[in-house]
Amino acid sequence: MITKDMKISEILSNYPDTIDVFIRLSPHFKKLQNKVLRKALASRVTVQQAASIAGVDLNKLLFELNKAINKETNFNNEIFREEMKPTINEKPEFLNSISQEKIIQFDVRPIIDSGKDPFLDIMSKVKNLKDDEVLLIINSFEPIPLYAVLETKGFNHWTEKIDDAFKVYFFKSKSEQTNVETEQKADINLSNYDKIIELDVRELPPPEPMMKILEKLAEVDDKTVLLVHHHREPMMLYPKLEERGFKAITNKIEENYYKVVIFKKRNIDI
Amino acid sequence: MNLTTSIATAYSPPFRIVVKYFVAAIFSFVLLNFMLLINYQDINGHHFQPKILSITHIATLGFITMTIFGAMFQLVPVVLEVKLFSALLAELQFWIYLLGITGLVFKFWYFSSSLSFTLPAIFLNLAIFIFAFNIIASMTKVKIWNITGIYLASAIFWLVITAIAGLLLAINLDHPYIKIDHLQYLKLHANVAFIGWVTMVVMGVSFKLIPMFTLSHGYKLELAKWALGLINFGLLGINWIMHYPDTEFYILIFGTAIFIGLILYLIQIYIMFKKRIRKKLDIGLKFSAIALVMLGFSTLLGFSFLFFEYEYKPNLTLIYGFMIIVAYISTLIVGQMYKIVPFLIWYHKYSSKVGIENVPMLKDMFNENLAEYNLFLMLAGIITSVFAFLSQINLLLLSGFALLFLSSIIFSFNMYKIFRS
Repeated sequence: MITKDMKISEILSNYPDTIDVFIRLSPHFKKLQNKVLRKALASRVTVQQAASIAGVDLNKLLFELNKAINKETNFNNEIFREEMKPTINEKPEFLNSISQEKIIQFDVRPIIDSGKDPFLDIMSKVKNLKDDEVLLIINSFEPIPLYAVLETKGFNHWTEKIDDAFKVYFFKSKSEQTNVETEQKADINLSNYDKIIELDVRELPPPEPMMKILEKLAEVDDKTVLLVHHHREPMMLYPKLEERGFKAITNKIEENYYKVVIFKKRNIDI
Repeated sequence: MNLTTSIATAYSPPFRIVVKYFVAAIFSFVLLNFMLLINYQDINGHHFQPKILSITHIATLGFITMTIFGAMFQLVPVVLEVKLFSALLAELQFWIYLLGITGLVFKFWYFSSSLSFTLPAIFLNLAIFIFAFNIIASMTKVKIWNITGIYLASAIFWLVITAIAGLLLAINLDHPYIKIDHLQYLKLHANVAFIGWVTMVVMGVSFKLIPMFTLSHGYKLELAKWALGLINFGLLGINWIMHYPDTEFYILIFGTAIFIGLILYLIQIYIMFKKRIRKKLDIGLKFSAIALVMLGFSTLLGFSFLFFEYEYKPNLTLIYGFMIIVAYISTLIVGQMYKIVPFLIWYHKYSSKVGIENVPMLKDMFNENLAEYNLFLMLAGIITSVFAFLSQINLLLLSGFALLFLSSIIFSFNMYKIFRS
């Protein structure tokens, strides 16, 4: 799958057809058709940088790119549905039928406009949320990092864009009957992390997932979390993480799909 | 919030103990093949003879059950997410068990000696009770049960029944007291052992390991549930009906239930193989796939026994036993050992070094070409031996067993390489 940290050149050499996607999304990308320019620029620029240069929404770009390669390689669709839920998912049935009292609405735009970080306020709302209630966050941009944070707490989300506002519904996922230990483990403040490295090991036989994950740890520092897409709960991995001073939170998304969030252990926790 | 308590480390299985059981099992496997080879002339006719009984127990207790014990200590914590109740008991159990096997195998061999049958049987029962207690005590902590866990729990129940039936038979050999034909009891002991204990474990574990190794998903486990129900129903029925006279009809019903259960299991496994992402089967999975085909043959043969007097056909019971012990179970164990042992050693020795220094890949830990020969020789040995049993040509049996022995030597060499790597 294509991630925001991948180099444009890498993408274009692996999936030449994605050039059409780039050009469709922004005329800025027309330069990429020129082989010389492509060489000069594309090898240095990541998808994220390219999106900001061209003024294209990063998520839209990622989504379109992944959709394009998806068709080509017939790659497992679900990865992208999971990642790109807000743009392609249907509104969950129960959100239409749920009574308004059960929806706890929280407009964070005033907080953001005043220059503050609404994260802690959101987390306290989450904490007080009952299992059958839905938290509705209204924001001026899509709060993508929040998805990962709340996912570790067992929340699914559904996002809609109305005019300039993003409305994000967070609700307890039904398949999320994680055991108590996982819940406790998940109770950690992830607000201090600003980088997420993703790693998909679902196509690898043992012990390669473990190897890939342990190798990746070198890149995980205090500001980074490693998000691993796994096909099972990596029971044997935990002790090895422990040895190296890392911890993991595992969430079962569905059968054969687990998200493992790995982060450096700290001495002081909140 | 305090996050210092480690939940994860608690699950890591006891490496030393697992290795101890595996080494004993591999030794027994070579011994088994060696004994078959040098005693090939005695392996024919009726199965109730000292040497056959002795060799059978090297296979079932020394090789098969020893392997399963080791594998369970490894797998139960991982599969059921609990800590093994006591590593000390697992250690203690090993020595008591070893004493029991040695005693029993010797006594069968020197059948008419003044040694006791009962004493080694008591040791074996003690070891098995310790095992059952250890695993059940671990299982009481399980939060989320899965199909594998339920299979393993059933298997332990049938292991205990097998052990008790074995003890009763042993006492009977010392001081005859069983009124009905003791061969009936022997049949019960063997059926419960192979179907209830070994095959239940194989089934339960395969639902975890086959998808893990082949990356298979997107199937339902309905058939697995039906198989579990049918086989338990059939075994309970046979255990109950055994104590009454004139039970052919009931045996037919319960036997058929078991048969259908096994067939459903095989279909389930077939579906899992079909849905796998990794299309290429490595050596361990080739062994396993062949072993499951052999289970299919054994099942058909066993089912046919419901309909005629098989015990009077020359060597037919022997073929059945050989198919189960060697063609199905041994092939499966050898294959799974090629998967599990490298991982076990790798995990123990190298996993902490990943990303820090170079670590070997699993397939570099043994000679894969040799493993292919291992498979080929084993398969050739099995086919030759079965044909030898049918044709009753002694020389053919000798060559069959020679092939098997050779393959067991290759296997143990490869295992040695893995342990040393």
